[in-house]
Amino acid sequence: MAKLKIRDKKVKIAITKDKKKKDKADPEAVPELPAEYSSPTRDEEHSDSRDVSQSSDSELSCEINEVEGNDLHHPAEESDSSEDEVAPRNTIGDVPLEWYKDEEHIGYDIAGRKIKKHARKDKIESFLAGVDDSKNWRKIYDEYNDEEVELTKKEMKLIKRLLQGSTPHTEVDPYAPYVDWFDWEDKGHPLSNAPEPKRRFIPSKWEHKKVVKYIRAIRKGWIKFEKPEEEPRHYLLWGDDSTSAESKRQGLKYIPAPKPKLAGHEESYNPSLEYIPTQEEINSYQLMYEEDRPKFIPKRYESLRNVPAYENALKEGFDRCLDLYLCPRTRKKRINIDPESLKPKLPSRKDLKPYPSKCYLEYLGHSGPVKSVSVEISGQWLASGSTDGTIRLWEVETGRCLKVWEVGQPVNHVAWNPLPQLPILAASAGHDVLLLDTGLGDAEEQHRITELLHVEESASTDDRDLVSWAREEMYGGIRLKHTKAVANVEWHRKGDYFTTVMPKDILRTLPERLDCSRDTKAVLLHQLSKKQTHNPFKKLRGLAVSAVFHPTRSIFFISTKNHIRIYDLLKSKLINKLETGLQEVSSVAVHPGGDNLIVGSKEGKMCWFDMDLSSRPYKILKTHPKDITNVAFHRSYPLFASSSEDCTAYVFHGMVYSDLNQNPLIVPLEILRGHASSKYGGVLDCKFHPRQPWLFTAGADSVIKLYCH
Amino acid sequence: MPKHYRPPGKKKEGTAATFITRTKAVRNLQVTLPHFRKLCILKGVFPREPKKKIHGSEKTYYHVKDINFLMHEPLRGKLWDIKAYKKKIKKARGKKNKDMVERLLDRQPTYKLDRLVLERYPTFVDALRDLDDCLTMVHLFATLPAMESEHIQVDRIHNCRRLSHEWQAYISRTHSLRRTFISVKGIYYQAEVEGQKITWLTPHALQQVVTDDVDFNVMLTFLEFYETLLGFVNFKLYHSINVKYPPILDPRLEALADELYALCRYIATGSRTLSGNSQSGISSESEQTGNKKMNSESEESEVRLAQLQHQLPANERGALMNMMEDVNGADEEDQDTKECKSLFKDFKFFLSREVPRESLLFIIPAFGGLVSWEGDGAPFKETDEDVTHQIVDRPSLGRKFLSREYVQPQWIFDCINARIILPTEQYLLGRVPPPHLSPFVDNEAEGYVPEYAETIKRLQAAARRQVLPFPGLDPMDFSDPGSLLAEGIIDRAEANEAAEQRQKLLKLEQQYHDELKMELQGVTFSAVASKGNSQIPPAEDVEVEEGASMALLDQVAEDELNLSKVSMSRRQRGLMEAIQIGKERKRNKIELLKKRRKNSEANRKG
Repeated sequence: MAKLKIRDKKVKIAITKDKKKKDKADPEAVPELPAEYSSPTRDEEHSDSRDVSQSSDSELSCEINEVEGNDLHHPAEESDSSEDEVAPRNTIGDVPLEWYKDEEHIGYDIAGRKIKKHARKDKIESFLAGVDDSKNWRKIYDEYNDEEVELTKKEMKLIKRLLQGSTPHTEVDPYAPYVDWFDWEDKGHPLSNAPEPKRRFIPSKWEHKKVVKYIRAIRKGWIKFEKPEEEPRHYLLWGDDSTSAESKRQGLKYIPAPKPKLAGHEESYNPSLEYIPTQEEINSYQLMYEEDRPKFIPKRYESLRNVPAYENALKEGFDRCLDLYLCPRTRKKRINIDPESLKPKLPSRKDLKPYPSKCYLEYLGHSGPVKSVSVEISGQWLASGSTDGTIRLWEVETGRCLKVWEVGQPVNHVAWNPLPQLPILAASAGHDVLLLDTGLGDAEEQHRITELLHVEESASTDDRDLVSWAREEMYGGIRLKHTKAVANVEWHRKGDYFTTVMPKDILRTLPERLDCSRDTKAVLLHQLSKKQTHNPFKKLRGLAVSAVFHPTRSIFFISTKNHIRIYDLLKSKLINKLETGLQEVSSVAVHPGGDNLIVGSKEGKMCWFDMDLSSRPYKILKTHPKDITNVAFHRSYPLFASSSEDCTAYVFHGMVYSDLNQNPLIVPLEILRGHASSKYGGVLDCKFHPRQPWLFTAGADSVIKLYCH
Repeated sequence: MPKHYRPPGKKKEGTAATFITRTKAVRNLQVTLPHFRKLCILKGVFPREPKKKIHGSEKTYYHVKDINFLMHEPLRGKLWDIKAYKKKIKKARGKKNKDMVERLLDRQPTYKLDRLVLERYPTFVDALRDLDDCLTMVHLFATLPAMESEHIQVDRIHNCRRLSHEWQAYISRTHSLRRTFISVKGIYYQAEVEGQKITWLTPHALQQVVTDDVDFNVMLTFLEFYETLLGFVNFKLYHSINVKYPPILDPRLEALADELYALCRYIATGSRTLSGNSQSGISSESEQTGNKKMNSESEESEVRLAQLQHQLPANERGALMNMMEDVNGADEEDQDTKECKSLFKDFKFFLSREVPRESLLFIIPAFGGLVSWEGDGAPFKETDEDVTHQIVDRPSLGRKFLSREYVQPQWIFDCINARIILPTEQYLLGRVPPPHLSPFVDNEAEGYVPEYAETIKRLQAAARRQVLPFPGLDPMDFSDPGSLLAEGIIDRAEANEAAEQRQKLLKLEQQYHDELKMELQGVTFSAVASKGNSQIPPAEDVEVEEGASMALLDQVAEDELNLSKVSMSRRQRGLMEAIQIGKERKRNKIELLKKRRKNSEANRKG
């Protein structure tokens, strides 16, 4: 096809020439056409076999000649003659030039002599020649003939036109109207004899279908020619009457989204200097958790023109959008409570006076932490036991130390006999419990006491495995030797019985650990008048911590680590078990009425039990940050206190009403401070004065303090 | 949910029946997730927080009634239609059926949101209440560039711009702007419309930063609703001041990007013509010049009509009527509006090129001032003799008029917030202006008053010819702060103060007694002077004592707290502690501010 087209062009060119000829003179040019037609093709075929430059050269020249001269020579002849005119210098024939690359000649002349190649100019020379010669750019080296050819101006023009892709000659119109060279009309001999197809004269079925479709669409209004008129986009949406609109809103109750927080001073473009964090502070933000880090760092610009576009504007808008449609909304009550209103309504403390509030006296003398204090029932004497191995007897009102017993072992607990006529002091020191004659009271009482504290040697052999009753050699009295360290000594209200508690030392009894939970010998009951000891429990669950007698009835409370067990001593059976819910009970005290109980724990909580109400605490008071060491009730005033390792003692008002429907009233009254903290703890014991609203506290700083109202 | 037979043991009641997860909701509605999102946004449906999250705590829950509400929404069907229609177009495109595609594209189904607006906001006040987000969003998009890649079309941006200007023109016209604040994020405005406080934020008029961590689909859906809402709100507002709503603007001014000014003029003329009066305003001369170049015929005729009416010779009686009306109108306006209207009444402002023009053109007329700017279409030139203030924001200026003051733009904003004309010294050209404070902060409640706020307060008082009581000592009985505290009469800070006072008094007293004693003993003054060294320890003692008493006071307060805590329930105690933590945090913040202020003052001196 491509070839044909090229030829067509040639043909056309030829035709134009022909036309010119026609114009000039003869209409008989028609028969000449085939010759004209064939000639360029021949030329072309011929030129294929020759070197390109040569052929183009010759052909171009021939055509130029033809255009220039208006004479009617045959171009084919002319081309022939032009070839004859200049014989090619090269005679090697149609072989690759490479074969003669290294030879000095390029063929032989008719006489058989070698045709020598011209001497090659070297590059500098040719360059210099080029510089000198202004027409050098027109020169082309013909490799085949080994000669330089200088192109003429006309040839240059031709080449330029060819390069542009247009016809080489300006006169040629490549798009001249076509003149048919064959006359069709009235010839009676069509090119094709096929009959005219039916589709030429029958209307198209498919077009018809399409038209029908359009018609139908137009009729039915699917296709509309004019655009629908635009309604006004906005109108008065909300009428004047707003009352009827109330019911319009459907669906659930609308919760409006909370409005974004308004900008504060720090967001200003020019905030006060105090709102701008220092560089150190900005650096410290890096160390914060990402949630805590401030989202916005204030910055100051000297003038409005310096303020740049906010880089998070789009992001914040987007975040707000997300909040609006993704965040669950609930109505929440805003906590805007006055903290004062949270405080429970309690009677004023002024109305609850008297209660201990100020330190009145200090009893100095002990050299170690005072573990325990006890006040004599008359309220005149105070006994204290310390880890320095002494028991001291003080006069309450003067603070004079009356007597010192050097026991030799750290004293854990001291307790006065509750009978006023029997001023006997029970003290636990190490494994022993001492019953000491204090030497108070008149002669008659003294006599009775010495009689009571007389022990025969044989008495101890009765029950050797439990406790041995022996005479105290140094100070007179009785020494009860226990198998383990005794933590607590408590008297029965009648002053004849007392109980001792020996909590298992866990460290020392590791192998027996499983057994220790069922230690039956932890709590013992002793009878002073008969010098007898017996073990009331066949089995005892839990680790016993302390044991207390009921103030009026023959009921016995044993506190283990989590529970308080209440036993009836007469029937010798369990009455009740109180669930403290505490981790580790440290102390128990019974209200003088006998129906209420307070329990202190090592986690700093105190429970008030109303035993008529429930076996669960009536109230849990979270008072101390550290362990509670002891709790105490006042015998007559509605007061109770707790002492703790954090060097404080709390005093509470605890009113128990005789009306069973009324719950006890508990009001915290005072925090007593004054004890210094030491490595042994803070306040180790607290006891109320039996008659006055005074509180004694024993501190680990070896001081006993008396707080008065 | 249709009621149907439930197999025994598979009861659905309570939370399980009333709340539904998002996935289930989407499935029930038979829509795609993007469509569900769109429905939720347009209908204003949001997730709820059930008391018990039955299907997992990480899921989002919707109320069943909300989902049923969406189920009956005609928009859901419309979205289906649109989806199907898009498929048709795609199919036609695939079959290379060009005229089909054209025809289809020509008549795409659309939907309207006006019904939804009414449904969500049954009364106009409801709509105003929720307008904050709407305005902020529309103003934000008005400054964004159109982005084909994100489907942000030019006409939507233009629409946003138009709506925002319409809103501003109304606010400016009715003088209902109350507060303004230039923040780093942009400029906050607060207006009061029908008793509702509406706050919105406009970004600074700069090229906005477009980030790629934003889903524009969501934002554009919101914008779709907001555009509709604001259009209707504007209609209602314009209706209320008797102006035809889609305003026809002077195309010349519009071409100069002065839509706001054009709108203001439109409203001014519109309301005047409707009240049947003509009143020569500031803009009459420029309007005449504005007549010359107008493009579209219909617009031209309408504007001309308005102007012709406006230029009718003033009827004496009519003018009187107008005055009467003005008086009546003033009576209707509340005190606030009156105050705002007359703040810049006697001033004429001229804006330099570098100041934020749109913002100031909005604000100054809202407070009754006359304003012009550099450029075509301005009502008056820079050389006007009557200009009282020129707003500039450049380090220096070559040529100055002596008759006017050159102030920075912050002055305008501060004046507006303070509602008085502040002295201009600190805001003059080339100076660093005083700190710009937020009008939205209640300094007293916050507990910290910046220095400049106090200055402004004093100036305000001076403007009202009031005398502020000097912060001095209250006649307080300093008998025993500790006991007073214990009784709960005074709070802790007061107690501390009182204790200090008392310590000072005691110290003086003691000194006096010492001296008296010495005099009695016959010590001469010189001896006292020589004994100067020995005098020091007692003073120290006093100090120590003072410290001790302070500690004691602290102790008393703490004890008080501890005691009250003991008798609280656990829940109340937790609440109390939370309150205390919050208070502590607030106090720390204030402390930090005070510390920084002290430091900066020290730096200034040093």
